[in-house]
Amino acid sequence: MKERFQQIWIKILFFLTILGPGIISANADNDAGGITTYSIVGAHFGTKMLWILFLLTLSLAITQEMGVRIGLVTRQGLGGLIRENFGMKWTAFSMFVMLMANLGTITAEFAGIAASLEILNVTKFISIPIAALLIWFILYKGSFQTTQKIFLVFSLFYIVYIVNGFLVGPDFKEAFQATITPYIEYNTTFLITLIALIGTTITPWGQFFIQSYVVDKGIDLKHYQTSKLEVYIGALITNVVSFFIIISTAATLYKHGITITDAKDAAIALKPLAGELAQFLFAFGLFSASMLGAFILPTATAYALCEAFGWDSGFDIDLKRGKFFYSIILISIVIPALIVLIPKISLINIMILSQDLNGILLPVILIFVMNIINNKKIMGEYTNRLLANIVSWITISGLIIATLALVYYSFAEMILK
Amino acid sequence: MVRCNFPLMVYLSELIDVEVKDSTDSIIGTLSDIMIKPKANTYSPLKYLLVKKNKGKEKLVFVPYDYVEILSKGSIFLKKIFSKIPTENELNEEDYIGIRKDIWDQQIVDVEGVRVVRVNDIKIGMFEQKMCVLGIDISIKGILRRLGLEKLDVFDFFKVNLIDWRQAQPVKGFLKLDILSDSLDKLHPADLANIIEDLSLNNGSELVKSLDSKDAAKVLEEVDPHLQKIMVEYIGPEEASEILDEMSVDEITDLVKTLPKEKASLFLEQLKKGTARKVEKLIHYPDNTAGGLMNMELVTVKPEWTVHEAIEEIKKKSPSQRSILYVYVVDKDGTFYGTLSLRKLIISAPNTKVKNLIFNFQLSSTLKPEDEMKDIIALMTKYDLFTAAVLDNTDKLLGIVSIDDVMRHFAPDA
Repeated sequence: MKERFQQIWIKILFFLTILGPGIISANADNDAGGITTYSIVGAHFGTKMLWILFLLTLSLAITQEMGVRIGLVTRQGLGGLIRENFGMKWTAFSMFVMLMANLGTITAEFAGIAASLEILNVTKFISIPIAALLIWFILYKGSFQTTQKIFLVFSLFYIVYIVNGFLVGPDFKEAFQATITPYIEYNTTFLITLIALIGTTITPWGQFFIQSYVVDKGIDLKHYQTSKLEVYIGALITNVVSFFIIISTAATLYKHGITITDAKDAAIALKPLAGELAQFLFAFGLFSASMLGAFILPTATAYALCEAFGWDSGFDIDLKRGKFFYSIILISIVIPALIVLIPKISLINIMILSQDLNGILLPVILIFVMNIINNKKIMGEYTNRLLANIVSWITISGLIIATLALVYYSFAEMILK
Repeated sequence: MVRCNFPLMVYLSELIDVEVKDSTDSIIGTLSDIMIKPKANTYSPLKYLLVKKNKGKEKLVFVPYDYVEILSKGSIFLKKIFSKIPTENELNEEDYIGIRKDIWDQQIVDVEGVRVVRVNDIKIGMFEQKMCVLGIDISIKGILRRLGLEKLDVFDFFKVNLIDWRQAQPVKGFLKLDILSDSLDKLHPADLANIIEDLSLNNGSELVKSLDSKDAAKVLEEVDPHLQKIMVEYIGPEEASEILDEMSVDEITDLVKTLPKEKASLFLEQLKKGTARKVEKLIHYPDNTAGGLMNMELVTVKPEWTVHEAIEEIKKKSPSQRSILYVYVVDKDGTFYGTLSLRKLIISAPNTKVKNLIFNFQLSSTLKPEDEMKDIIALMTKYDLFTAAVLDNTDKLLGIVSIDDVMRHFAPDA
């Protein structure tokens, strides 16, 4: 009996040791852009978009799993793999796309930092320079690993949305109905929110991140099944949280017809749980989520670019040797910080439009991933099965169609005005 | 028609996909790759052009370089009519590599700079009347050239940064041919370990495998333990065993311990019998027993040595040890005689025999490998020991458990 218990325990421990890529990457998905987008989805459209979130869970699980599989088989990051298999021009193109998407996301993180501290009456002209300096300083001098862990623990804050979701007393029947009832509106507001919803859930950087994570951790290909399970669980958890953010805002803001123009508005959704403290709770959650993203993204961007172009990377090398590495990190902190500092710019708009940028650019990265994962020379027996191909291509074409529709309707609405 | 054979310098990017014309100016196809037969520390002469034909069944064809009249930026001409040239449809893969397929865009080791870089472009030019691969461009300029954006750099702000071909160690494809740059061999194991940490796992493992096993062992010992484990698993028991055999027993033990059980035994099977036996002795003790806790970092002296000789031995071994509190007296069969503190050695006359300093040694103050934690603590407390010797059942010294090992057991993360 005791031995049996021990065996089960060893299995659990083993699972925990390779635990990581899926859940961390999924958790980091709920960053500033994530919270804002999900809040807006619920506040402006109620539960109507839940069916997309449902499909996205499947799509996120499959795209992340592909990242893990490529990492396990090739033992290389996506940047290097694209360079070695598609040559310089495609590399430059894909890296440019990734850089744009990531700069957008980092800008959203800084907007999140600014917005959360504005709730506490700290102006962004103070919070942003300090945050930018702090991030640079910790990355350059301090321990990236420890900091990452601290903010990861902080971001467990999302659990409050789940508790809150129950306290709001939402109509679960209606919510579940909505997850299987397709609903579309043909106007720019709906399409912008839709693309942001997709772009914040499945991201270009997430694709790069999960693959590098697997490579660095050195998980053996033999543990592929366990890694796969972990990725699926991660995708499920992150979207359960998203689900509860959406039904929380749907049951509070949407019901009373409040639209979100400010982070303070989004915080109202937490009132059933936290009462008067809702503002603080929301500020804390948004702040730690944004900080986590603001740490991970510049670093992930720099690693991917350096791998693709063969520049020295890592925090253990000096400034001279790592001049490209450190420059990329510096640039991807400074430019987003400066954008957020533009007076009167709408922080909410930054957070949502950056997710649109991600959504619009995502197909490019996914097409590279699809090309790699279906290449027998690279993947051997681990190429995609039919289901993964179908889901991925639906995601890619869905995004492209939504983007084209958005362009069409923006022109149409402009002309009609 | 007059064509001048001016001395050339050309980049691969200026040749790839360029039309290949024969002596009648008819277009044969486009250049797909250039084949070389590399040798260590020489500029490799071009051997074949791989041409992608626009007509005919055999789409790809190898044209011997001897039949090339002109190879310069944007123009490639052959010496004869294409039908008169003895082309090949296949080459022996073990002899040739394609510089586009195996070097362009791949990782290479810059041996002089001791670092890993990515190849942006390849420089080809005349050396001793032959067109050879001369160097590897790793500069931004190379990236711009590849993108066709060289003109953007109007002020010539970026400089070409070339690595001499003889100082470069390509990895992909190259190592399968077992061609190792001489200077790479001369690098310090720690430097080589750094390089391996920077390469992708596949390339890094190839590099380790291509070293001779003694060097490989030295390098592998220097590689970060996490990567060491991944790499050994990746290389696999059979090939890794040759390298492992050259490593020290406790290094192997540490490594094997991190592997899952089944895998560990696979590796042990492949080791030399003697080594495997030693490792097995060490690893089969559970972590919370004396055998599992003990370390082998110790200084042993022979009973017939003098105090002076013992102190000399400490001086010799000191650099490789974290701390030395005691020396362990062991005869030539490995039988344990007792311990001596540094204090005792220092205050004794230099010509005293070591064995004469040991009195009232009791076997009961030593540990057996299977002793559990509570026994270890009880024994060390009872005899006020900083370190306790672990003996097998024939009284041979296996290792020592120090108070540090005990502490670490209770506070593993501290």
